[in-house]
Amino acid sequence: MNLSKYLPLTETTYYILVALLEQGHGYYIMQKVEELSSGKVRIAAGTMYGAIENLLKQKLIQSVSGEDKRRKLYVITDLGKEVLHGEAERLRYLIEIADSKGL
Amino acid sequence: MVKHKLFVVDIKKEEAWINQYVKLGYRLVKVKTMTGYYQFEQDTLKCKSHKVKIDFRTFRKIEDFNDYIAMFEDSGWKHIAGTKSNGIQYFERTDNNISEDIFSDEASKAELYKRIANMWFGLFVAYIPILVAFGMTGTLKIYNLFHLKELYYTPGLWDRTGIDFWKAFWFETPFALGRGFFGLLFFIIVLSYAYCALKALFWYYKEKQVQFP
Repeated sequence: MNLSKYLPLTETTYYILVALLEQGHGYYIMQKVEELSSGKVRIAAGTMYGAIENLLKQKLIQSVSGEDKRRKLYVITDLGKEVLHGEAERLRYLIEIADSKGL
Repeated sequence: MVKHKLFVVDIKKEEAWINQYVKLGYRLVKVKTMTGYYQFEQDTLKCKSHKVKIDFRTFRKIEDFNDYIAMFEDSGWKHIAGTKSNGIQYFERTDNNISEDIFSDEASKAELYKRIANMWFGLFVAYIPILVAFGMTGTLKIYNLFHLKELYYTPGLWDRTGIDFWKAFWFETPFALGRGFFGLLFFIIVLSYAYCALKALFWYYKEKQVQFP
């Protein structure tokens, strides 16, 4: 499958997709991203909502039904996982180059 | 304390205007967007974290709206005003440890203006068929703009002089304006939607450029 239209991912998108390997609601994603990035990436609520909306449109994540009536649960889709794989591969290659050049 | 002011498209100005009162020790408690009504209350907590930020979003489903509000409130932004479909959403910062803004990158800051532009542009487009129909049936009466005298029906009005003329003239003016400009007024209002859309689009591109200096 051709993933080139999704790649490269922005740092924010990358973190959100990684966070959603486990399902969670919006605020969970915000916290998880902060934790994964050791506090370096803090996504504010307005930006988070826009990102979720975009990812839903691209079908990289989906909403699943949960017990909480007010908060929607989101989780990564198979397509999202593929894209994440593709991105990881791309990043790994970049690192390889950096290593080989002694950077 | 109640303040009145109308803001269209200028989100940044509106935020600055609201926050000047917040700095003086007030909290925004109620907004009626249509009439530019803002109700403030004395901030008894004297909380330094208070600050109002505005987002623009409309929602088709109530679940989406609830989810949106919940995400903001979970992260420390209390929803003050805004409904599922009216678009402008007001949030109050309630926690000192959270960021100062509801957006954390330049791109999403700019997207706000794109959503506003889309709303106004959609409104404008919705009126185009009506505008065309009015134009074709002659209801808009653009012609009248250049032939103002013909809007006055009083026989021999323009031959009169002095007080006699002015009395008759001012008496008929409201009728003449009604006759001539109802359609035109409609036209101007619809055009102003397009103006708002362009203004928002202008802000969108301006904000976006911050990303690529």
